[in-house]
Amino acid sequence: MRISRRVLAAAAAAVVVLPLSACGSGDGGGGSTDASGRIQGDITFQTWNLRANFKGYFEDLIAEFEKKHPGTDVKWIDQPAEGYADKISADAAGGTLPDVVNVSPDLVAPLAEAGLALDLDKAAGQYEKEYLPGAWAGHRIPGMSGTYAFPWYLNTGPLFYNKSLFEEAGLDAGRPPRTYDDLFDAALRMAESSDGKVATLANVPTVEDFGRYGVPLMNKEGTAFTFNDAKGVELLAEYKELYDAKALDPQALTATPESSGKKFLTEAVAMNPGSALDLGNFKKQAPNLYKNIGITDQITSTGHVNMYVMGVMVNSRSRQKPAAVAFAHFVTDAEHQMSFAKKVAIFPSTAGSLDDPYFTEEDGTDETRVRVAAAQSLKTAVNYTPVLFSEQMKTELRNAVARALQGKESPQEALDNAVKACDRLLQQQG
Amino acid sequence: MAGSTVTRVRRQLPTSPWLFAAPGLVIAGAFVLYPFVSTVVNAFTDRRTLVPGDFVGLANFRELLHDDMFWIGLRNSTLYVLGVVPALVILPLLLALLVQKNIPGVTFFRSAFYTPVVASIVVVGLIWVWLLDERGLVNSLLETVGAGRVGFLSDQWLLLLSAMTVTVWKGLGYYMIIYLAALANVPRELHEAAAVDGAGPVRRFLSVTVPAVRSTMVLVAALSSVAAFKVFSEVYLLAGPSGGPAGEDTTLVMLVQRTGTGLSGRVGYASAISVVVFVVTVALMLLVLRADRREDS
Repeated sequence: MRISRRVLAAAAAAVVVLPLSACGSGDGGGGSTDASGRIQGDITFQTWNLRANFKGYFEDLIAEFEKKHPGTDVKWIDQPAEGYADKISADAAGGTLPDVVNVSPDLVAPLAEAGLALDLDKAAGQYEKEYLPGAWAGHRIPGMSGTYAFPWYLNTGPLFYNKSLFEEAGLDAGRPPRTYDDLFDAALRMAESSDGKVATLANVPTVEDFGRYGVPLMNKEGTAFTFNDAKGVELLAEYKELYDAKALDPQALTATPESSGKKFLTEAVAMNPGSALDLGNFKKQAPNLYKNIGITDQITSTGHVNMYVMGVMVNSRSRQKPAAVAFAHFVTDAEHQMSFAKKVAIFPSTAGSLDDPYFTEEDGTDETRVRVAAAQSLKTAVNYTPVLFSEQMKTELRNAVARALQGKESPQEALDNAVKACDRLLQQQG
Repeated sequence: MAGSTVTRVRRQLPTSPWLFAAPGLVIAGAFVLYPFVSTVVNAFTDRRTLVPGDFVGLANFRELLHDDMFWIGLRNSTLYVLGVVPALVILPLLLALLVQKNIPGVTFFRSAFYTPVVASIVVVGLIWVWLLDERGLVNSLLETVGAGRVGFLSDQWLLLLSAMTVTVWKGLGYYMIIYLAALANVPRELHEAAAVDGAGPVRRFLSVTVPAVRSTMVLVAALSSVAAFKVFSEVYLLAGPSGGPAGEDTTLVMLVQRTGTGLSGRVGYASAISVVVFVVTVALMLLVLRADRREDS
């Protein structure tokens, strides 16, 4: 039992060499795209922060699928919203990615590039016609052929505004701003009349704002970013004017969607984007605000609002591809998207669903007004976030915007630097 | 018979310690040594989260030299050490002197000062955000007394200072306990002799207490400087994921997190930053211990 020095040395060497071997691991291959065969076996299905409110819906959905396909067993996993991308990346790197995963297009891109997302054009192309053409194309990656997730629900949040703050500033609360020019005028007037105490917005412009202002974000080939053009510089210069006039909240440079939501709730800012779900929050947490709440469309100068797209991806290395593809399709088919839409303020991505009276007829309540207006705007909405725009790139843009607003760099310099940094990250992504 | 037993014991002796140490060694190997070596190896590759990457030599380190954000992170982590360590060496000692005496109600104060240590850093962060917000309690008080609102969470330097305040506030109780243990070992006779010689409280503190707890002060300086250089939570909670306005409050560990995580994370580059953090923290430890040795000699 004596442990020789050689054994110890060999063990130590193994400890050192093991990580080296990890550098060469991973074949980067995507596995077979053949999803034909008998629908059976155990699969895992991961959703994005949906268990808390929709446990019953998903349990029924899974039970229905298992009944329809005897021999299948779906294990449902739900992950919190916070750090969702990190959880997926840890699973993907560790080889434990679930068979069916709830994703957004920007999450699909790196997974598809790593060969972990199944190409549905090849594996499930027969279902394409069931979905809105734009929604099916939403999970295509520039520079790659194929579609890498089933379209699931769409959303386009309305913009909420505080009518009493508008009236106090001498603005017409019945005619909220609709374009960026209207917004800038209203924001400057509000800051002036409140002596800088009430800001109109609590967030700096994001890539979606650049898109809605009419700034071209990427070249057609998807190989370089272009948001540093004259239009982009113009938008940033306008925001700089707002920031200097305190029409933009002083903490906007470090704000998150949660913190800006709180600012709106405490009536420190007059406008904030949100969803129909927020109405319930306002009613419960800020009854005074709820009495004065105004609802309008997203600000856009292009005539097209921003659309958020959710998808359901199939792991290309799933051992039960037929069952995984069948389940992903089952979750996203017209019938189930419609039933999900009736439980929550989301919109189906299936062809013809938006023509259902549920999305076209108002009953006089705010909820239906928001729903009908959003469904109408979705018909021409655009997903402005480029699928290749990673979290690191969002940080680069955000920092550049902050430097410009603080006056440390001119808007042109700041955007040039952001484009340079994002292009470099794009190249490093491969 | 006796001889063979001795031989058997001797033969088994070298194995037994290893068997006892084995569980610890396995855990240390898996969770300390392996990640450490893996990080060092990755620092020389262009590995990304989902792509194994290739050996790139010193390219990551060369890139660091031209990365503005790295220098900002290094500056902020260094400032954090300079701002936090002196406060964490001196203030807990003074606090320990205050609560050292056995007077009625002192246990309450000892517990109260220790409470922040056991509180979750997330909760602590949220409380301080509420306090220091543009419309928070501190600004409301300042406004009440006629002063204007202060941008504790929107100004680059005030934000860093606020984060340092949180670190000091949270660490006071922990180091106070260490000092209390050290103070308990200071001979009472020394204080009595100094008092007989006419030394006042300040003189006794400087000439008796400080020399007696000097080695503890060095320990506190070493521990707090390493912790301060690796600060993440306080700055992240107060400055937000962007690292303050334009990322100007980013620390090195925040940069590691931001660069190396996510589906497009640059694991190789983040590992190179981690290696720099490791080298600097080791250097800090050596510096403090060397200063202590010089003082001894």
